[in-house]
Amino acid sequence: MDEIRNEIRNIEKSAERLKVLAKENNAITKNASIILTFVYLLKFITPATGQ
Amino acid sequence: MDYWNRFTETMPREALNKVELEYFRTMFSYAKSHAPLYADKLKGIEAADLKTFDDIKKIPFTYKEELRKWQEDVEPFPYGGLLGVPIEEVSTFRQTSGTTGRPVYVPESYESWQWRIESWCHILWMAGFRPRHRLFLPFGYNVYVAFWEAHYAAEKVGLEVIPGGALDTKGRVNKIIELKANAMAGTPTYVLNIAQEAQAMGIDPKSFGIERILGAGEPLPEATRKRIEATYNCKMFDHIGSTETCGFAGMCEAQNGLHVVEPFFLVELLDTETLSKEVAVGEQGVIVITALGRRSFPVVRFNTNDVAIKGPDTCECGRTSLKLMEIVGRVDDIRKIRGVLFSPKTVEQLIRSEFPDIVEYEIVVTREGIMDEILVRVEVSPKLKAEDASALAGRLKERHKIKTNLSCKVKIEPEGTLPRYDLKSKRFKDMRGDH
Repeated sequence: MDEIRNEIRNIEKSAERLKVLAKENNAITKNASIILTFVYLLKFITPATGQ
Repeated sequence: MDYWNRFTETMPREALNKVELEYFRTMFSYAKSHAPLYADKLKGIEAADLKTFDDIKKIPFTYKEELRKWQEDVEPFPYGGLLGVPIEEVSTFRQTSGTTGRPVYVPESYESWQWRIESWCHILWMAGFRPRHRLFLPFGYNVYVAFWEAHYAAEKVGLEVIPGGALDTKGRVNKIIELKANAMAGTPTYVLNIAQEAQAMGIDPKSFGIERILGAGEPLPEATRKRIEATYNCKMFDHIGSTETCGFAGMCEAQNGLHVVEPFFLVELLDTETLSKEVAVGEQGVIVITALGRRSFPVVRFNTNDVAIKGPDTCECGRTSLKLMEIVGRVDDIRKIRGVLFSPKTVEQLIRSEFPDIVEYEIVVTREGIMDEILVRVEVSPKLKAEDASALAGRLKERHKIKTNLSCKVKIEPEGTLPRYDLKSKRFKDMRGDH
């Protein structure tokens, strides 16, 4: 699960970077925001349990 | 065994508790700092104080009436003090049915809606709905949430969805046949109405080829579930949810109770007397819910007024989540009649299990002088002869007395007299005024 969580963080970083790179482009920023919505969900469904 | 999310659905109880406690603290802080209702309600309590589930039990409940109050003349319109995100982030309006009073307006942001849909995917998947299914939804969804949830979640799971709004019941029967739908979701009442309409058209509902049906919007007593399974030759599954909380528990293939979708929700089952202690397995408790990741409409310790029986810790499906064995009913629906506690669900259970010739019914309670009277109005199958209908009325009176400890009158009504319902049925009418 740690590997999966790392990959989710990578997606998050990429989506945030996209928003910065394309801040004048509505379509790209909106789609990057939608990716971040799913990052929120992915984090929610892969909680660290400490076990 | 097949899961939507094996990781969370089979997580050991201890780990789930740890995750949910952490999620609760996060949602508690979020609600307090973003929704005026909770900024006010949770004053003086800090997330850092919430170290155990016993600490959580000190937090006051949220009641539906409060939700209404915080939307009356409170900006921003129409969500008032319940809104947990900037209003520009709200992407969808929903509302409660208004069955018990003024409707509550519910804001969903894109994120919160997707969170809600993800929870619903668990409900569909555990009930065996798969991408091979063509799902017919026999409703115009309007502003009510349940079938929007079913629609979006079914798409996400990979089913093919047929929206069946803007048709009458006959039109829906024809559409099911025309498109060879093999799955359906609906209120149990309306699912039975569709079958009745098909039979009136000379069509056996078994010939539809519907494999699975998910019940929504109404309680589903076991007898009604079995009757629908026999009528359609299918498997019927239940789930429970509400507009305020989302769909939060569903039935797995074992068809023995409802699994709470954890860790999306913290569900407390509290003793009906003091509402302060978790009940034991087999006991009845009031359902109190916190949605642990929905930020546009935070709901912390929402007292649903629904009563359920706590199920065992294990299930043959391997899920480790809290199980609700039976939804006993709403606290609001349970009435005292002639000094005896009466639940309309008992009568539904009786009619659906023992009286297959009753096609529709309604219970009316009135007060004549100082005496409460129960009248059960029934419509029977048109195939039944008059003398058989009269015998049925007599038998229903007897069985009602045995099941409820209350006598009743039974009136056979002409076909088509009683209302039919698409969404929530209202078959129980208490006309006493002071109940």
